[in-house]
Amino acid sequence: MAKSKYWELVRIDAAGNRQILEIAAAKEFFTSAFSEFSSSSDVPADDIQQQLLRWVRDITDSERHILAERCLLCFISWQIEEVCLQLERQFGTEHGFTDCDLLPYVLDDDGNLQPSKPGNSFAREILRSFDPEQSSLTTWTSRRVKHHPALSRFLLECGVYLVSDWAILNDTQPKQLQRIWREFYSFTPTEIQQAQGLLESYHAVYRADRLQKRARGIRGRCAAPTMEQLQQISQFLESKTNQKLKSENVMRLLQNLADRLRQYRIHVRGGPLPTISLDINDYSNYLVSADPGENQDEQGEFLQFYRAQFKACLDQALGIVIQSRVRKLQHQDEEKAQKFLTALHLFHCEKASMTEIASRLGLRAQDAVTRLLKLKEFRADVQQQLLVMMRSHILESAKNYSSLEDLTTLEHEITLALDEQITNLISQAEAEAQSAKNNSPRTYFTERLCEQLKIDHT
Amino acid sequence: MTNFSTKPWFDLERLPTTAIILSPEAINQAVEISSQIKNTFQQWQTYLNGLALFAFEQWLQERDDSFTISREQCTLLQPAIANVLPVVDKLEVNEFKLCLIAIGSLTDEEVTLPKVVVDLPEYVPHFYVLVEVLEEVEYVVIRGFLTYQQLTERLAKANLLPESDWTYQLPLTWFAEDPDRLLLYLRCLKPEAIPLPAIPKERADNLFQMQGELTALLPKLQVPGRELWQVLTSEQGTAVLTSPELLNWIYNLQSQPVETGNITFKPKYLTDLIKLLTQPAVNVGRWLWDELDELAKQSSWALLPRFMPVTAMRSPAEELEVIALQLQQQGLEIPLQARAAFKDLVLAGITLRLYAVTWYLSSDSSRWTLLLIFGAPLLGTLPDNLKLRVSDQTGILVEQGVNSKQGDSYLFTRVVGDLNEKFIVSVSLMDSVELTLPPFAFELG
Repeated sequence: MAKSKYWELVRIDAAGNRQILEIAAAKEFFTSAFSEFSSSSDVPADDIQQQLLRWVRDITDSERHILAERCLLCFISWQIEEVCLQLERQFGTEHGFTDCDLLPYVLDDDGNLQPSKPGNSFAREILRSFDPEQSSLTTWTSRRVKHHPALSRFLLECGVYLVSDWAILNDTQPKQLQRIWREFYSFTPTEIQQAQGLLESYHAVYRADRLQKRARGIRGRCAAPTMEQLQQISQFLESKTNQKLKSENVMRLLQNLADRLRQYRIHVRGGPLPTISLDINDYSNYLVSADPGENQDEQGEFLQFYRAQFKACLDQALGIVIQSRVRKLQHQDEEKAQKFLTALHLFHCEKASMTEIASRLGLRAQDAVTRLLKLKEFRADVQQQLLVMMRSHILESAKNYSSLEDLTTLEHEITLALDEQITNLISQAEAEAQSAKNNSPRTYFTERLCEQLKIDHT
Repeated sequence: MTNFSTKPWFDLERLPTTAIILSPEAINQAVEISSQIKNTFQQWQTYLNGLALFAFEQWLQERDDSFTISREQCTLLQPAIANVLPVVDKLEVNEFKLCLIAIGSLTDEEVTLPKVVVDLPEYVPHFYVLVEVLEEVEYVVIRGFLTYQQLTERLAKANLLPESDWTYQLPLTWFAEDPDRLLLYLRCLKPEAIPLPAIPKERADNLFQMQGELTALLPKLQVPGRELWQVLTSEQGTAVLTSPELLNWIYNLQSQPVETGNITFKPKYLTDLIKLLTQPAVNVGRWLWDELDELAKQSSWALLPRFMPVTAMRSPAEELEVIALQLQQQGLEIPLQARAAFKDLVLAGITLRLYAVTWYLSSDSSRWTLLLIFGAPLLGTLPDNLKLRVSDQTGILVEQGVNSKQGDSYLFTRVVGDLNEKFIVSVSLMDSVELTLPPFAFELG
């Protein structure tokens, strides 16, 4: 790591631009204090940070205290920026943000040697709460940035969220904790009992307060327990288990509890419940694998037979589903409803990509288009409407032709056949959607949809 | 050196595009529902259940406004049931019954399902729907579902048995089916396509046989946080969970401060309640038609002649006339259309005579009156320490004793009920000997 990070500060200037500010006093202090590293550009971060931290915590020499603190604050600013860059790399494109959107929330250190205004800067808060016994400064900074309330709020608006420790603890039953501690972590019965006691005490205090806040209409994320809450938790624990703990220790133990539960959560979600990706290509997950050639024939035969009804029903089903969507969107926002129709048209009839649609509609990102269109749900709704309609059509004509047939069996068979046919039709539309840019002819679904949109637009 | 890598962070997540946004009204209502649950440990789950219910309804309506949703039977909206059931059961959509299982932000590999909604036909739904509630960020995701058939087949195949706390621990992966398919079923299937188990007929009999045990055990539920499975056997649990009135009694018990001396929670009342729920009742409505039903005959009730303005010297009718006259002086008027019957009963060797008089309320014909008069034959004096108790399904209505100073020659009380209400009457001597009569009901015809 470049040692200049200890005297150069990353900051946002008044115009909102990223700027690097060299702090001469910090540079002078650092180079003389760590002269032994002057030859190499890379320095052992841990040793230096520990030394600086010792000086920060030793207030007998106030000048050294201030300068060492300045060096660490510079270092923290680089780490904060790195976290924001990582956030941009992982989610920025799809969810429509860059590090420039994030930095103003968390880079508020002005570079003065002593705090110039009342109230700590975020970096000073990170440093103040840092415990070298628990983690490294880098890890701690990363954790604090990801949990920053305003930043989290912004990210949630973009469709990215980090569940807080306190929400995880709220939603964990003592019985679940017991099992996870025993089976996933192999803790001893005593450890399990202690963890359970702590969780129950937390529930008794924090959940009740959260419900009360909700009852008063207060919204927002779950904040860290206050000193008062920690004391109440500690008292509750003492009354139940005779265990006496200081508030700081309660906080630390609760965070440990939450960290373990979070690790377990990640383990589970990596497995059976993958988060549903926004990527359009992921529609392949929902495709029914079928031999296209064979199905084409079947579909041809089927369509020939029921062509007239099928066309009428598909049009009707498309009409119903589009209308119903538009109606619901209109309830929220007239403009949004119009955007939905335009997006549907751009996607299906002009084969525009999600990113293109986003920019043409003035939406933040691909993610916002996906949320607006909800294509998977749209197709499922059309498919099911169509199924309901076709079934009643075919059953009616069947009644005329063969009254002796067992209608129940027939209904079942028709349902199966139709379901398969319609699924194929929808799958083709999905395949078409995946290769949005190709020049293949439109599927029947798209053809009818675009026809429908023409009607809606006029 | 840096700890950052290109490896993605797993703790940050994308919100699924299918996520449902919770409205402030939904949150308010869920808080409101949870506040009716006094057991603080269950309040939070009830709150999550509320959020799950409202978001689920919103999801259905957004997808198709032709769904018929009925909350009428929904367990979450009945505090006495929600108090003991940590899921949302009996939500009806297009005549299908649904059970919503709300999970929070932990994401457990196992889903906890109360065995009640699997093993008790009264509670078995067509579909079990897994709903993930992100309370903190005010979003809800419908995760997946299972039909009743799928669940029972898998339980049998995996040989999964309920745990000691009356829950099944199901693998999360069982709920993998796409929620869109649930919509398909709700739109296109008929409820008969998923046959549900029939409700056994012997519920009342079982309850009756357990009345002794239940009277002793149920008061133990008053300890805060104590749950049914900690106090009852599985069979006793079935009896309790299939009786809404007993669940009501438990809910009221748990809503009371521990020290309360409210007579409704005395074991005596519990006995009355169970008898009311399980025993056949004497239909006094028939008396107005000059008839005694079979049960009245068996319990040796004798119908008295209609009240006559002119007194004919007949006994015991004559005795009643005398008493009626005295009551009239005290301001209690017995209308002419009232009918009365009497029976003699023996309590600790002492013969008592009980008159029961019934009539419609002239002001409101949907309500009926039962006037009970305990006396000694031939208008003798009643023994001291004689006590009379009348209960209905809500609690003890009357508990009164003989005023020894006045040397009462009879003891009377009057209760009024709706046509579907029943009363149960007990008489006791020195709190040690007690006799409970078959309940009284008033049915037309």
